[in-house]
Amino acid sequence: MRVLRAAGQVVFVVVLVVIAREMYLNASFALGSAGRELSYTYLDSRAGFGIKEHVLGYSPNQPLFKAFLAGATNAMLVAAIGIVMATVLGVLIGIARLSSNWMVKKIALVYVEVFRNTPLLVQVIFWYVAVILAIPRIESSVSVFGLAFVSNRGAALPGIRSGADFGTWLLFVLAALPVAATVWRWRSRVHERAGEPHYRWLLSLGVVAVLAGAGYVLLGDAFRVELPELSAHGYSGGLQISPEFAAILVALVVYTAAFIGEIVRGSIMAVSKGQKEAAQALGLSPGQQLRLVVLPQAMRVAIPPINNQYLNLWKNTSLAFAVGFPDLINISTTMVNQAGHALETFSLVVGTYLGTSLLISVAMNALNRAVALRGDTA
Amino acid sequence: MSGAAPKGPRLGLGLSEDVDLLRFEQQARAIEAAPGPAPATPREWIRQNLFSGPVNSLLTLASGVFVLFLAYQILSFVFVSAQWEVVQVGMRGYMIGSFPVDEAWRVWASAYLVIILAGLSYGVSARRLRPSAGQVAVGAAAAAVAGAVVFFTAQTPLVRGLAAGATPAAIAGALVGRLFGRKILRPLIVAWVLVFPAIMIIVRGFVGVPPSEWGGFFFNIIAATVGIVASFPLGLLLALGRRSEMPVIRIASVGFIELFRGVPLVAWLIFSKFVVDLLLPPQMVIPDIIKAFLVMTFFSAAYIGEIVRGGLQGVPAGQYEAARALGLSTTRMMALIVLPQALRSTIPAMISHFISLFKDTSLFVAIEVTDLLAAARRSASSLLYFGTDMETLLFAGLIFWAVAFSMSRWSQRLEVRLGVGRR
Repeated sequence: MRVLRAAGQVVFVVVLVVIAREMYLNASFALGSAGRELSYTYLDSRAGFGIKEHVLGYSPNQPLFKAFLAGATNAMLVAAIGIVMATVLGVLIGIARLSSNWMVKKIALVYVEVFRNTPLLVQVIFWYVAVILAIPRIESSVSVFGLAFVSNRGAALPGIRSGADFGTWLLFVLAALPVAATVWRWRSRVHERAGEPHYRWLLSLGVVAVLAGAGYVLLGDAFRVELPELSAHGYSGGLQISPEFAAILVALVVYTAAFIGEIVRGSIMAVSKGQKEAAQALGLSPGQQLRLVVLPQAMRVAIPPINNQYLNLWKNTSLAFAVGFPDLINISTTMVNQAGHALETFSLVVGTYLGTSLLISVAMNALNRAVALRGDTA
Repeated sequence: MSGAAPKGPRLGLGLSEDVDLLRFEQQARAIEAAPGPAPATPREWIRQNLFSGPVNSLLTLASGVFVLFLAYQILSFVFVSAQWEVVQVGMRGYMIGSFPVDEAWRVWASAYLVIILAGLSYGVSARRLRPSAGQVAVGAAAAAVAGAVVFFTAQTPLVRGLAAGATPAAIAGALVGRLFGRKILRPLIVAWVLVFPAIMIIVRGFVGVPPSEWGGFFFNIIAATVGIVASFPLGLLLALGRRSEMPVIRIASVGFIELFRGVPLVAWLIFSKFVVDLLLPPQMVIPDIIKAFLVMTFFSAAYIGEIVRGGLQGVPAGQYEAARALGLSTTRMMALIVLPQALRSTIPAMISHFISLFKDTSLFVAIEVTDLLAAARRSASSLLYFGTDMETLLFAGLIFWAVAFSMSRWSQRLEVRLGVGRR
């Protein structure tokens, strides 16, 4: 029996290897007859196409590799902001689902049922075409006290530009961190020993703020707040948000929050009722009951499924293709259209998605371990 | 309560947390269904649920204003400013895309087949499920909307008659089902198993319509069904492979599952169009849409594998031991004892996977399939109906939503009947 199993496994491996070799040969042959070969050197050639948005800086004269990187970082930026916003909105929805207020409860229910039962692609296009492009044109931008502008060409908000002394100023902030940590530990100790209020958030943040503020005043040119300006050509300066970015971000946040809301609701209900009653008996306010007793316990069960939602959100950034936001998929298809090498480019796409998914999972598993009950390692 | 305790930390890319989500929802619904305090008078109810304190009253007022505003916006759009003519003209495209009009009877026949089967099934099970007044009201409202849409959009009397005939067909099915009751349960199950191949024959056979011409909502439904039906056997193998004692099989299964789950479906669809041909022998030419279905099958199988694994984990070890003690071989133990129990508990998760796959079929637009959403976008971009994005999107969204929502409701009812989470 054991011999049979071992033989079976060997046969399985051999079959896999033969299939893989066959695929490799087919690919080399197909490329060879087109005068190409399987290699990644094409990534060093000039990209030649423009990308509207990029985080790390990009121009058409840079190699294809940079273009791919711009797409990947764009997708990651959407995912990172989206994860934070979807979590906040999702927790709010989850709490609202359990509100004692009938009206709030029903609104949250309708929200969840509408957004999670409609294809995300419909929602992405809806936010882009029917909402964002429908707000006033740029000539009649909505101005928020002259500090920010909103129109169908996007939004422009006050932004922060680093000055000449920005690096030195960062050192000040870094130096503040250990001091803040010490203050945190000191206040925690006092709180545990004497039962005095700890104010550790306030005091630690205060330390950082004071040191950073001192650095800003001393250095003179750490950073500047830059206000956007409205000109005939569009916005300039400040922090600009394109309609495409806004559409994919809003769609992902709204969609994912519906799922996270259901997870939060489920895990709050999974916290035994006695916990809330005990907190009530101790005289905690409803807000305190939720913040100090119920949510920390609910978080424990909620983390694994929420991790899955984060992974979904990351993968769903690929729907940006529908609005032309230059994400991973969008840039990769452009690359293939311009330079060929579909197989190699696709392998990079797979690698990036898997690698980033793994990073998210590792971070969430670390968080899971940090909040798990001691001894609860089943 | 289900026996599964919250899982500890597990490293991986996707894992089976979808199953956890369902478990949460089951728990939450069970708690909500528990009898509450005695019903109060309307006045008391309003005070308790809407104005129990200053904060609550403020919340009620604020959300009331918000709801009124939204309702006003939606109603004034739907009944006043919307140009619904675009939907009227585009309806055929929404339903069947570029499917040849002369062959549309194939789609009608398939639809009627499913409707009658659904009616029969409802009739058979309805002995235990008596609709409440609320359900009747919701059903009537849905029927009214559907009827209005049919009579507004149907272009010819024939189409109108066929669409309107769906209701009597379903009711007739339900009456027949009721008449025979559980005696026809077995043939009915066989019929459901055969209905997909039958539809394939109706559509594809007798000099039929090739998949490249399928489109519209018909495509969305067929693609989602292919995604479930074709990937089920592979998913089952992956689940068993993942729990196999043979390391090579286990690693291969885990690798397959994580690879296909870790990359979005859009990427796989593009892969099917641009890369698959490179990997196949040059003389092997497969139509684009079949390649896309194949890749989607792999994608879906990875998810089904995880769902079935969740089900397998829920089967108590005693069941395995008992089967062993009876002297069953591994194959017989799995087929007769373990899988029936495991699969039964996965039905809600399967439906939920079907819903998300159904929603994901809109992504086929990435490889230029004209599904419902793409047809809606196309009709809004025609010169005649320029600027009707809102109308077409809302209409397409409503159809997707109606199907996904009613399936999720159906799955909740099934959970109760199957006793998932309670056995």
